[in-house]
Amino acid sequence: MSDAVRAKAPVLSVEGLSIALPEGGDRPFAVENVSFEVKPNEVVCLVGESGSGKSMIAHAVLSLLPKSVDIAAGAVIVAGQDPAKLDRQALRRLRGGEAAMIFQEPLSSLNPLKRVGRQIEEMILTHQKPMPSAIEVHERVQQLLTQVGLPNPKLLEKSYPFELSGGQRQRVMIAMAMANRPALLIADEPTTALDVTTQRQILRLIDDLRRDRGMGVLLITHDFGVVADVADRVVVLRHGKVVEQGTVEEVLRSPKADYTRELIDAVPKARLDEIRRTAVHPTPLLEVIGLEKTFRVKRGLLQPPREVVAADGVSLTLYEGETLAVVGESGSGKSTLGRMIMRLTEPDGGAIRFNGQDLRQLRGEALRQARKQLQIVFQDPFASLDPRQKVGDAIARGPMAFGTSRTEAMEQARKLLVRVGLNAVAADRYPHEFSGGQRQRICIARALALKPRVLIADEAVSALDVSVQAQVLALLAELRQEMKLAMIFITHDLRIAAEIADRVIVLQKGRIVEEGATADVFTAPQAAYTRDLLDAIPGRDFFDQPGFASVTGALPTARMSS
Amino acid sequence: MIRLGSAATIGLMALSRIAQLVAVILVIATFNFVLVRAAPGDPAQVMAGQSGASDPKLLEDLRKEYGLDKPYAVQLASYLGRVVRLDLGYSYRQRRAVVDLILERLPATLLLTVTAFCLALLIGTTLGALAGLAAGSVLDTVFTVLSLVLYATPVFWLGLMLVLVFSVTLGWLPPFGYETINVKLSPLEHVLDIAKHMIMPVTSLAAIYLAIYARLMRSSIIEVAQQDFIKTARAKGLSGPSIVVGHMLRNALVPVVTVAGMQAGALVGGAVVIETVFAWPGLGRLTFDALLQRDYPVLLGIFLILSIVVIVLNLLTDLIYRLIDPRMTTGAA
Repeated sequence: MSDAVRAKAPVLSVEGLSIALPEGGDRPFAVENVSFEVKPNEVVCLVGESGSGKSMIAHAVLSLLPKSVDIAAGAVIVAGQDPAKLDRQALRRLRGGEAAMIFQEPLSSLNPLKRVGRQIEEMILTHQKPMPSAIEVHERVQQLLTQVGLPNPKLLEKSYPFELSGGQRQRVMIAMAMANRPALLIADEPTTALDVTTQRQILRLIDDLRRDRGMGVLLITHDFGVVADVADRVVVLRHGKVVEQGTVEEVLRSPKADYTRELIDAVPKARLDEIRRTAVHPTPLLEVIGLEKTFRVKRGLLQPPREVVAADGVSLTLYEGETLAVVGESGSGKSTLGRMIMRLTEPDGGAIRFNGQDLRQLRGEALRQARKQLQIVFQDPFASLDPRQKVGDAIARGPMAFGTSRTEAMEQARKLLVRVGLNAVAADRYPHEFSGGQRQRICIARALALKPRVLIADEAVSALDVSVQAQVLALLAELRQEMKLAMIFITHDLRIAAEIADRVIVLQKGRIVEEGATADVFTAPQAAYTRDLLDAIPGRDFFDQPGFASVTGALPTARMSS
Repeated sequence: MIRLGSAATIGLMALSRIAQLVAVILVIATFNFVLVRAAPGDPAQVMAGQSGASDPKLLEDLRKEYGLDKPYAVQLASYLGRVVRLDLGYSYRQRRAVVDLILERLPATLLLTVTAFCLALLIGTTLGALAGLAAGSVLDTVFTVLSLVLYATPVFWLGLMLVLVFSVTLGWLPPFGYETINVKLSPLEHVLDIAKHMIMPVTSLAAIYLAIYARLMRSSIIEVAQQDFIKTARAKGLSGPSIVVGHMLRNALVPVVTVAGMQAGALVGGAVVIETVFAWPGLGRLTFDALLQRDYPVLLGIFLILSIVVIVLNLLTDLIYRLIDPRMTTGAA
């Protein structure tokens, strides 16, 4: 950071901000005595896990807090103004004028019934005085769409949000935010819902725009990889309090607070020296041969149905006791593969051999018996448990369906709950009483209750905070040893794949583009696509440097030269 | 993705729907036929009874004359054959073609139901939107209680109470009928006269639907207000009214249109009761009379016409739905 930048007045300063939660919550303040600044041409990352209050702060900047919470103390100063003290008109000029905001879910953040061009026009028309002519506005929209790297802006401005990809939608959001050349951009988890490669593009775009315009950026994220890639300065939050703040080098290289250190350690690292090379057990347990699946999506009457190839001759072998990671971006067919192995989705062609039988030929009781040995854990621990069923029942129901007595099944369920790190009394409680990580542990217990030989984990840790993610991964690794499980680990996050898998399969549009031992795939990727994916891992440059903080907690003091 | 002109897409969709429609009408005609025959009562007996004799010979002759002695299958086939030729038959009782009877009454019924439907939709969604925007306020509570009361009020009772208050006690409005008879009126006066006659039947008919749309719109607005894109709109610096008009209303209307389309048919059914209460010379009265007289051809004709009206209304709903929500045209979710 140059002295010139340092000297400039901050575009955002948060001064001793406390936001009170309504009474009866788990804590009195969502945010307590938080202070930090964002200067022009600077990216400040606000990092924390869910519930840390990071989004609350972002919302307070534009006075967008829900009605139930109040600023109890302190102030937010944006471009010299306190939004909480502005009248309506002035606040509206600030929102979208001096400060603009983009959100995590670009699909739900855009009006589904309005063409995207119109949504950007609206931003210009609201703020530019005197009102520009229709032609000027249109030109400006075209220019903005081009600036955010969208192809064919003429066609694109006429599109509805549902017709665009996730990355395109976020670019539209950014184009909209840039419309009035704001001094401050607030980005609330802008890449969390996107694929790694798209994430990298969007982060680069934000960084380029920042540099072009000397704009200050407040980026909210839970991902230290993202922090390492884009931040100038970092503010670490926990339970609404600032745990630590400083430049990215200070915080990442030599964290002062234990909590920061824990968070950094919890980042799954594609650290090559730590990738295991487990001797593969020679007996194949599950063989998938030439699996085919094409989804046909109906469109208008005249148009032929759109075909989406989810599996195009996918073959894989899973050996006993092995963990196989299936990685790929959204739409690569990785979840469909898992579902086809479970026979939850019927393949169009190919064979699935398990234990000497072709699963595709099995019907009725034989299929039921085979399924018992193949279990799956889904991504969303909130949606995959019946909210009206007690946790114990959810776990015991499986064994009971296979003839275990209720008393015995419940006894087992309690033991399993203890095994996955919960309390036995959890059996008598309902899913909503548990946190996301705890629920995922319940889902794992449920899957293991049937003593399966193969566990399919479909993005099983993707919805969890990093620290929780690390715990659940550790649990899975232990259980794998203990129960001699073979695991298919489906994930979009290559860092997780590197941490947990013996072998990796890379899927792209339903085809296997690369397959091999984890260490080989990560050190010497053969396919260009794999290299793209590896390059896109956030924070890779930073965390891969030798001597960086390792999982064992040794703290190197070497500083990155910048 | 390549999109054909959405007008062409919608046109083609309409064509395929019309083909479906014809098939559906034939199925409905069959179903109506079976249903009416399955109901107790014999038209020959009713007619013979009315002419003062229960002579078996007369019954026999009547049955023969109207083809009631043939097997059901034959009767059904000849009925469907006539439906295809758009021949709805001849009324035993009224000695007139069913088509004429229905066409004579249809305009009055449509006037009543369409007016009631439009008013219910317009006022209902407006009140609902206001209540939803001011959720939790006194206004909201008043609207909610009112719509609950309207929703729970039986249609015929509301009609009778209106007559009691506005005709019997206050003498402001004519208690029944479609127009004042035996007076010379200028065209404008005639229209006003009909309008005056319409006030109470339309109010009674619209009340319950108004309540339904208001409640639906209220919850729809509240739900839309919590969506992320409304937060985006606020973060863009839009004013309150521009957010409501530009982003909330259209999104909130989607579920209301769906329900309104489905209920438009039920509204026509509700007209039977109201027309009876207010002696409104529409299809409702005709149905009521035909039912009492076991006038099969008239009943079948009315059922068929009403089914067609309902199907057409559903088709319109689908088209409107597609116009409101672009996601529907390409079948993407």
